[in-house]
Amino acid sequence: MIAAKRTRDVVLTAIWGENPVFRQILGICSALAVTNLVLNTMVMGAAVIFTTALSGFTVSVMRKYTPRIIRMMVEVLIIAFYVILFDQALKAYWPDMSRNLGPYVGLIITNCIIMGRAEAFANANPPVLSFIDGLSSGVGYSLILICVAVVRELLGMGSLLGIPMPFLSSSMWDRWIIMVMPPGAFFTLAVIVWIARTIQKEKDQKSTEAKK
Amino acid sequence: MNLKDKAWFPVIYMFMLTLILSTVLIIFGTITRKRVKENEAIAFERAVIQSLPVEIAGTTAPWQIHQIYLSSIREADETSAGAFRYVKGDSIKGYALPLEGPGFWAPIKGVIGFEPDAMTISGIAFYEQNETPGLGGEITKTSFREQFVGKRISQTGTPLQIRGPTEPLDESSVHAITGATQTSNRLAKFMNENISQWRARMAEQK
Amino acid sequence: MTGSSNSMIHLAIVLFTAVFTDNILLARFLGMCSFLSVSRQVKTAVGLGLAVVFVMTFTIALDWLAYRYILEPYAIEYFRFILFIVIIAAFVQFIEMAIERYSPVLYQNLGIFLPLITVNCAILGASLFMVIREYSLAEAIAFGFGSGGGWMLAIVAMAGIREKLNNARIPKGLQGPGITLVIAGIMALAFIGFTGVLSGR
Repeated sequence: MIAAKRTRDVVLTAIWGENPVFRQILGICSALAVTNLVLNTMVMGAAVIFTTALSGFTVSVMRKYTPRIIRMMVEVLIIAFYVILFDQALKAYWPDMSRNLGPYVGLIITNCIIMGRAEAFANANPPVLSFIDGLSSGVGYSLILICVAVVRELLGMGSLLGIPMPFLSSSMWDRWIIMVMPPGAFFTLAVIVWIARTIQKEKDQKSTEAKK
Repeated sequence: MNLKDKAWFPVIYMFMLTLILSTVLIIFGTITRKRVKENEAIAFERAVIQSLPVEIAGTTAPWQIHQIYLSSIREADETSAGAFRYVKGDSIKGYALPLEGPGFWAPIKGVIGFEPDAMTISGIAFYEQNETPGLGGEITKTSFREQFVGKRISQTGTPLQIRGPTEPLDESSVHAITGATQTSNRLAKFMNENISQWRARMAEQK
Repeated sequence: MTGSSNSMIHLAIVLFTAVFTDNILLARFLGMCSFLSVSRQVKTAVGLGLAVVFVMTFTIALDWLAYRYILEPYAIEYFRFILFIVIIAAFVQFIEMAIERYSPVLYQNLGIFLPLITVNCAILGASLFMVIREYSLAEAIAFGFGSGGGWMLAIVAMAGIREKLNNARIPKGLQGPGITLVIAGIMALAFIGFTGVLSGR
């Protein structure tokens, strides 16, 4: 019972409560660049989920043996290991996608979120829980990016996952080219952050009022 | 664990970890390396075939591409000044000239095919590009590439021009992609450099 | 690359493009973490910016050499991620020690930013782009210097704008990261205007 509740809390906190992109706008570096297409974003999300979950697990398994002084170097090494595996696999089995994502898969290594989860959670928690925590962080992160990508691809290309959409790809709709270019990503993310933060603030206000 | 407190433990730990992880990576890398090279080779061969009037039925699997390539395409020799030759029987049916140069995001690599007269274009295909999807990336689409079929490179001055989307065309020019100025300019630049060099060397042989 | 790849004009173009039209922050989204958190004051922005220019230029050269003479000959290009990070971290550590030792003044103004740079994805990103674009050493240095300069330009401009916004009324949900993203978007839009400048070349 307690274990199940713990897991549920871990999952919910990672996805919504402490959702990295909302609260701290960490690690968006690597990802905004590929949000012009939903498919690319999903692959990128898969890479982040893969890396965060597995490196969380690995760091956690090794946490009792790793000397404190080299802790961070070990974390970087483990994260880099999984990223390189994913990147090489992509290059071999899906070369077009690998070229589309360019250096951004490799840059997941410097992604503050993954390091953050390893430091904050995996170091102090059992492996399975750390794996789930990593998985959930990755999923939460990917969801935001997919939201940005959906907006950008629909408005900028009139398609979703490469499939043209009924009204938006017809000649009646003028494609918003700005969505295909970098400023589109900034504006879309800004709006999403705005909406999310406003919802969060209203929630916080309601709960403080309820406590009175 | 007392072992952890010894001064040398972290060093050994780090070293062992690096060794183990590196070994796994190298094994994985070596296995996938072959695959990566094959992908690149097939992509190039497909581009060569697409730029020439080679008959291919429907969708072609990688091994079919390879077969067609082996049976129809020959390496460059002195008469083709660096271009691949499309050979049927004893006669040359076309030339395939590799193109390479900087695009807007990363190097663009492609092949342009010519009829045996070395002037009329039979097709163009790209096997490596990383331009903006929806803008520069459209160069791989049929709508852009089929413009080139039947055009002739001009014998004096710029071999091939990529003009604005609304400008009138002649037999040596095609339309650029709307909104992809940078990609179009850079493509035109290195394409013409490659073709001019080839044109000059072919002329020397006559 | 063709023979003209090292001509001064070509290098100047690579540099100009890296600063303006292909700005590593506004067009390639790299280095955003520190950009969003350190861009409140012009003074700190300038300090961090200079540090980034310095580190980026030198590490891109070191990474180029490592790629050419260590990774490629042994066919272990996929190790570049780890090797580049190690080189960057080692370089930053070394420079920090050197500055702390030889110039306390410089250390106060610049040195304290150095640890922030190790996690700056723009530094690693620049080296990774260099590999993808198959730059020569000269092109890589021009690109590194230009990218660093472009990053600095963006963060200083952002800091200047945000200082002016201190008294503006911004909706609660947009305060902090939200408005910074909007400003970044507008700046990115403005920088795209530079694209036509080099269209003749």
